[in-house]
Amino acid sequence: MAEKVKVYALSTCPYCKRTKRFLEEQKIAHECVDVDLLDDESQDKALDEIQRLTGRQSFPVVVVGDTVIVGHDEEKLRTALKL
Amino acid sequence: MTGTTSDRVYCPVCVARFRFEDGWQEGAFVACPICGQRLRLVRSPEGWSGERVDKGTEQEIRSRVEEFARIRGYRFNDMKEEIIEGLLGKLKRFGDFYCPCRMQHVPEFQCPCRPTRGGDIERNGRCYCGFFWKGD
Repeated sequence: MAEKVKVYALSTCPYCKRTKRFLEEQKIAHECVDVDLLDDESQDKALDEIQRLTGRQSFPVVVVGDTVIVGHDEEKLRTALKL
Repeated sequence: MTGTTSDRVYCPVCVARFRFEDGWQEGAFVACPICGQRLRLVRSPEGWSGERVDKGTEQEIRSRVEEFARIRGYRFNDMKEEIIEGLLGKLKRFGDFYCPCRMQHVPEFQCPCRPTRGGDIERNGRCYCGFFWKGD
């Protein structure tokens, strides 16, 4: 079974858009959260999770199983997704 | 009304005061030398300030970032239009032209953000978003 893929993004961030587009083009099933559009409580939870995963607040964050990729990086995405 | 060069002008975008230049008068259009915002000079009992020209429009942010890049000698790359689209998204959803790559919607991160105004590009070659780049 393929590893679960989750994306934390900002709705206004062009690099996040590129990452989302890449995953769609590659037909990778993924869950995407636009953190800036969440209600306060959900946003706090998401930001805490991002901080825990990456030690900072930078977008996009892509989680593929145990691998965490910060920023739009197609090479790292291809490696993590075994493309 | 006219002023003197000892006067300062308050810019509502970068929340700083810049020097009043010789020949300026009330109603004149000037560009903030710190952030590039186009301003109309207004005199009040508290002193000189600038009103944002074309406030809350695409024209405003395009004029501001072009002027900022011109003043500092920075350039844009092929991300420019996507970042402007992000800035327009911030305006629509959060009320002003905050950095599209950050969560925080505070004056410090009004584009060009304070780290960018403060010399991040000189140090890193680019701003946080990769919108403004060092020349050459």
